[in-house]
Amino acid sequence: MSSDVILFLVIATALAFDFTNGFHDTANVVATSISTGAARPQVAIGFASLLNFVGAFISISVAATVAKDVVDAEVITPTIVFAGLIGAIAWNLITWYFGLPSSSSHALIGGVVGSAVAAVGFDAVIAEGVIGKVLIPAVVAPILAFLVAGIAIGLSYRVVGKQRPGIVSRGYRYGQIVSGGLLALAHGTNDAQKTMGIITLALIANGTLGAESDPPFWVIASSATAIALGTYSGGWRIIKTTGTRIIKMDAAQGFSAQGAGAAVILASTHFGFPLSTTHVINGGVMGSGAAKRLSAVRWGVAGNIMVAWLLTLPAAAAIGALTYGVTRIVGTGALGPMLVTLMALSLVVTAFARRAKGGAPVEATGT
Amino acid sequence: MIATIVHTDELLQTIAASLIAGIGVTFLFSVGIWGAGQFTELGRGERPVAATAAALVGVLALLCVAGAVITGIIVMTHK
Repeated sequence: MSSDVILFLVIATALAFDFTNGFHDTANVVATSISTGAARPQVAIGFASLLNFVGAFISISVAATVAKDVVDAEVITPTIVFAGLIGAIAWNLITWYFGLPSSSSHALIGGVVGSAVAAVGFDAVIAEGVIGKVLIPAVVAPILAFLVAGIAIGLSYRVVGKQRPGIVSRGYRYGQIVSGGLLALAHGTNDAQKTMGIITLALIANGTLGAESDPPFWVIASSATAIALGTYSGGWRIIKTTGTRIIKMDAAQGFSAQGAGAAVILASTHFGFPLSTTHVINGGVMGSGAAKRLSAVRWGVAGNIMVAWLLTLPAAAAIGALTYGVTRIVGTGALGPMLVTLMALSLVVTAFARRAKGGAPVEATGT
Repeated sequence: MIATIVHTDELLQTIAASLIAGIGVTFLFSVGIWGAGQFTELGRGERPVAATAAALVGVLALLCVAGAVITGIIVMTHK
């Protein structure tokens, strides 16, 4: 009975994380389309939401990596997964509050690794999986997106440089409907799978599924729905940072940044790398800006974003470990996770209430 | 040690696919826009043959973009 309550809390928390992931990452998908005028905000967000939903059904390679290659499923309990999720959600909310586009994916992996280390020790962590499938792709992906977007926009300017600006702008704005759609699809395939992987890990830990099981259909469908609803709810604060504060983009830059982002995410998803869509699209945005003129990129904002990226894994791990410790204060049953859920809910409500009053320090992004 | 941890083949394939798809699609789409621009310009200059040729190049490039996008999605769904 107690383990079923914890499993229920894990699934509800995982879907809540998925919602915040969509909410937090809406900016990655739509900011460039909105900032170049390619699509109206509500249309762009609705379109992205729909394609996020569809994308979640395309592949389960990343879900398998999260469920089987990061921590040892044999020693993991649903409470460990729960604490990791709380660590990820807390970090997502903190970075959202300050308008920083950090990585939801790394927050999730950091949170689970932190709580697993707190519970079982370093033996619970599969170092090969964390380094080979998470950390190295985490470094390579944004650099790759930077290069792809930079080279692509350089070539584009050479091809269309002598054309009338009107037709060029219109053309790339139409193109952004396709590139933005692809990016949304890519986001759905990579990010929704992380929640699928976490729920599958909890089901394996609870003994509901066998050790090598793939996510059941209801897990895929509910994850797809949660991320799509989160995306539809939007994160205007981060849209503003990604869309206007890193560089002032023209439509061609928006197209190349989105194209680079979609290419890197889809290729990585194919091989099961759970990378950060945030890192990738911001790398693409910076690459398309730097190729035109290095000073076009507001490196101060880019630097603040990088600091948030560097902090994400250790910070989420620390919150995950702390949360696990708190759940154990009242024993090994369901009471600890229930109390933590209540505390987390009250913190979320407080954060939203403060944001609604406009009290958040937007200047923290350093612009 | 590092060589056994890093999934080198998969990582290199990811890099190659990203470079080819990301740069290729943007380049081809730009050629499509170039074709549309040239078609308009040359049409105004009463050079219908050159305008039609430019339009054909543009349409072909856009068809290649559509093909690349569809191929990418098919590859994703057949893993």
